[in-house]
Amino acid sequence: MRAPGDGHGTTAGEVLLAVEGVSLSFGGVKAITDVSFDIRKGEIRAIIGPNGAGKTSMLNVINGFYHPQQGRIAFKGETRKRMRPYVAASQGIARTFQNVALFKGMSTIDNIMAGRTLKMKTGFFWQCLRHGPALNEEIEHRKFVEEIIDFLEIQAIRKMPVGKLPYGLQKRVELGRALAMQPDLLLLDEPMAGMNLEEKEDMSRFIIDVNNQYGTTIALIEHDMGVVMDLSDRVVVLEYGRKIADGTPAEVSADQKVIDAYLGVPH
Amino acid sequence: MFYREAGQYKTSYAADMAVFPIRQDLIGVLLMLAVAYVAIPMFGSEFFLSSVMIPFLVFSLAAIGLNVLTGYTGLISLGTGAFMGVGAYACYKLTTIFPGVNIIVWIVVSGFFSALVGVLFGIPSLRIKGFYLAVATLAAQFFLQWCFVRIPWLYNYNASGAIEVAQRTLFDIPITGARATPETRYFVLLTIVVVLTWFASNLVHGRIGRAWMAVRDMDIAAELMGIKLLDTKLLAFAVSSFYAGVAGACMMFLWYGGGEASDAFNINQSFNILFMVIIGGLGSLIGSFFGAAFISTLPTVLKFGLPAIGIPLAGATAEHLTHIVVGGLIIFFLIVEPHGLARLWQIGKQKLRMWPFPY
Ligand SMILES: Nc1ncnc2c1ncn2[C@@H]1O[C@H](COP(=O)(O)OP(=O)(O)OP(=O)(O)O)[C@@H](O)[C@H]1O
Ligand SMILES: [Mg+2]
Repeated sequence: MRAPGDGHGTTAGEVLLAVEGVSLSFGGVKAITDVSFDIRKGEIRAIIGPNGAGKTSMLNVINGFYHPQQGRIAFKGETRKRMRPYVAASQGIARTFQNVALFKGMSTIDNIMAGRTLKMKTGFFWQCLRHGPALNEEIEHRKFVEEIIDFLEIQAIRKMPVGKLPYGLQKRVELGRALAMQPDLLLLDEPMAGMNLEEKEDMSRFIIDVNNQYGTTIALIEHDMGVVMDLSDRVVVLEYGRKIADGTPAEVSADQKVIDAYLGVPH
Repeated sequence: MFYREAGQYKTSYAADMAVFPIRQDLIGVLLMLAVAYVAIPMFGSEFFLSSVMIPFLVFSLAAIGLNVLTGYTGLISLGTGAFMGVGAYACYKLTTIFPGVNIIVWIVVSGFFSALVGVLFGIPSLRIKGFYLAVATLAAQFFLQWCFVRIPWLYNYNASGAIEVAQRTLFDIPITGARATPETRYFVLLTIVVVLTWFASNLVHGRIGRAWMAVRDMDIAAELMGIKLLDTKLLAFAVSSFYAGVAGACMMFLWYGGGEASDAFNINQSFNILFMVIIGGLGSLIGSFFGAAFISTLPTVLKFGLPAIGIPLAGATAEHLTHIVVGGLIIFFLIVEPHGLARLWQIGKQKLRMWPFPY
């Protein structure tokens, strides 16, 4: 695989995405209250917190699916009041979903190929003929997709409709579909939820490899603290929609508020 | 034994991506083309051509159109009949105003008119789905039907309100009008259907088809991957209505040879096409042909086939029997096998690939 975008090789420390004072509510329900944090180029940034803390909502704000009432989002140096899904996708933000959101009726290959849509340019006319530029383009992107399939070790299920696959494999295909976008920022919403130990180890390895080999910046929501400690460079902790801690895994796990909120004290 | 991929190694992605991955599939299609172009005109009677094959081909085209919208993109439409009508009337006006241009050109161009109308009525699909979209397309159906009757300009102010198909020729051979033979009309129609099916197959196997299916299966994920929902849905409406429009023009000019058009493009026709798509298989081009073949020939088979083998059957009974069979099958397929006859075809092929071993 080629290195995605300009993510690789740049110095870690440069801010890729900054969320500033974001608040989001649904009617009376406050999902996020005045949260600020940043994600630096090349890092794995974990977002943790108890159920309902607002983690998924935060990802939805970042890729423009939810529009916050307050705050700003700066991505690649450009500041916006809110993202839009199309802008986020074309600027290089990809994601996976907490509840797998694959295209169930399509095969593994077609799902991952769909991730290449934004990179495919041939127009309607050539698409009708499926020759010339359209065919060349299809072959070129198919090669890229096959590399992802090799990387994720899912060769055996390439042609299967994904709806029939076991959950663990579906999560893997979903990661593949996000990788096909060659994102600069990859948002993973509980990629290991519901997996057994072995599957978790595989998934952790893929995440580390994506980060190392392609320099992709990753934001990761995860409940398994062991995984978070192992994988992430920095952790932001949310509780009831507020940020209660932000720092390295060691700092965060020593923080009394975090211990109270997340690691022990029941609500 | 004969239907195997053994020994056919794919050495390039191009080969693996081919629409017919197994050589026998390609041979099968070529064989079907040979039958359609050579055997049927040679051995088929005039009755067979004009009462079985021509209706079958017209409906296949319409079913492919609706399948693009409903089967591939997941947008239900009850306006297919009206979109066919737009094609028929557009063709009528075009050939009246420009009689010198070949009628085949106008049949194809009329598809663009119904594509435009389809896009207009497809705009609400960004906001509404399922049942509500069905109602919106129903509104399109009734509005357009109203236009077909109330705007006399559309039918050239004929006292009867009917479309009159004049004679049009290609290389001096009449292809429409009273003197066009069933063979000629069949060849013209067959060629249109073959070319448009090939286009549809290319579309659904490429970037555009994947975008359609992505929107159908999980629109949120599709949107967050940069697939523009409105554009994708409107393109599906455009392509779908284009096929319906061409089918409608073919229906009037190559099959009916004119007539009370507003009847041919009513809500019953919309349901008829929808049933073909459901029975044939949602999201399958071959299924569109199966569904069209099944529903368009069933009445003929019952009416002429059963008496031929000695079972007496009155015309009205045959019609009722058709309704019962079709209704029963729709319930069966909706509950048991949403992929319709096309799925049974797939299973059959899979069994054949394994044959004679059960697993
Ligand atoms: N679309 C929505 N409409 C109304 N309320 C919502 C919506 N999305 C999220 N919420 C509410 O916002 C709060 C935060 O939800 P969110 O899904 O972001 O939590 P989370 O941290 O991802 O939780 P979990 O660990 O269970 O996935 C919850 O109270 C939830 O009910
Ligand atoms: Mg969540």
